[in-house]
Amino acid sequence: MRIVMIGLVAAILLSACGKSKKPDEQAFLNSLDSAKKGPSIDEEVIGSILQQIPSPLEISVLLKESGTKYSFGLLNSPDNLSKYNSNYKKALNLGIYGTDLGYTNIYEQNQDGIKFLASIKSLANELNIGQFFDIETIARLAGNSKNIDSLLLITTQNFNDINRYLQTQGRANLSVLLLTGGWLEAMQITCQVASKDPKNKELREKIGEQKIILEQIVLLYSFYKEDENMASLLKDLEELKGAFDKINITYTYKESTMEVVNGVAVIKDNSTTTIDITEKDVENITRIANSIRNKIAS
Amino acid sequence: MVSLIGLTSSKLASQCNPDNFANACIPKLATGFNFLKSYKVDGEGGKEKVEYSYVFTKGTQYMINLCANGNATDGIVVSLFDSGRNKVATSKINGQFISAIAYPCNATGIYYIQYTFDGSTGKCGGSALGFKR
Repeated sequence: MRIVMIGLVAAILLSACGKSKKPDEQAFLNSLDSAKKGPSIDEEVIGSILQQIPSPLEISVLLKESGTKYSFGLLNSPDNLSKYNSNYKKALNLGIYGTDLGYTNIYEQNQDGIKFLASIKSLANELNIGQFFDIETIARLAGNSKNIDSLLLITTQNFNDINRYLQTQGRANLSVLLLTGGWLEAMQITCQVASKDPKNKELREKIGEQKIILEQIVLLYSFYKEDENMASLLKDLEELKGAFDKINITYTYKESTMEVVNGVAVIKDNSTTTIDITEKDVENITRIANSIRNKIAS
Repeated sequence: MVSLIGLTSSKLASQCNPDNFANACIPKLATGFNFLKSYKVDGEGGKEKVEYSYVFTKGTQYMINLCANGNATDGIVVSLFDSGRNKVATSKINGQFISAIAYPCNATGIYYIQYTFDGSTGKCGGSALGFKR
């Protein structure tokens, strides 16, 4: 009896140690194994992958800083709202409109932004997450171009809060869809811009480095293979990943240096990445990414 | 019973509320940086580190700042590791605790943002991540 008790305590302790482990790659693989045994999904692992996906705002800022002109025509029409009848489509297009709103904000096109905001609020309400958008405050901020920083801040916070909330509510699948929609929209905007300027190396590389992000997104979908819609989208994403597989990203680590300037530790990063991507690769990626995005938005 | 109430209230008083620190850190990002994420740094329960990850991209400058009780960082150190776990940045330089890191990224990849406690009394704080081109 005593031996049984010791064994039981040891098992509980081992299990507790396992739970405190950081959700790294090993934890991810472990959770995949457990997923095979039943429907349980490791929300902590999903959360850790979700939070590492970069904000689509970064791409909008890159486009603006590189002198690309604003184009409303690149974005999903806010009038498409009535087409989105399932939670699956609502979540994906909430992500798409979120990226479009960020794009209009970065370009200070506030009147267009308000149109997206209305569609966002509507989709968010239908997904029972409308409480995270203070539409009156956002609309007031959008009314004055001097408020651009506050507008960007509040909308970013709103989307962060939604993702956090969905994960705590066991609805991380919606968070995954929201993020996928946002990423795909940023991808198709970048691809459309790059197609008009195929010699632009920076844009080509920006597209190429999305390989790293797509790999993380595909990892996320491996948790939801039993969901018919997500499994179907995974097939499309895997086709896109096939096009990205031809791109080589070479990372070379070199120790960085640091100095303190005005109370800030300023790092000089001496590591580099080289991204080998051809115009043909960009064409393939553009074709597939646009096809997926249009399937979702139409 | 009285001692139990005393114990509970003292436990409540010492409980970490990292959300407040994380939110307080957002406006402390330097001018020109766009807010991306806020992170809770809760070392309660004997945790030695708190870790998050994010994909940093080449050509973008990131800033990570720290907030804790008072103006100082209360011994909280933020370090940045690349996907191969090489340390690329830290906020403790020559024994000095710095409250913000500016990291102009030159290599796209997954990075680990790790918070550790070096003589920290509260082991409780927050942090914000921002970017600019």
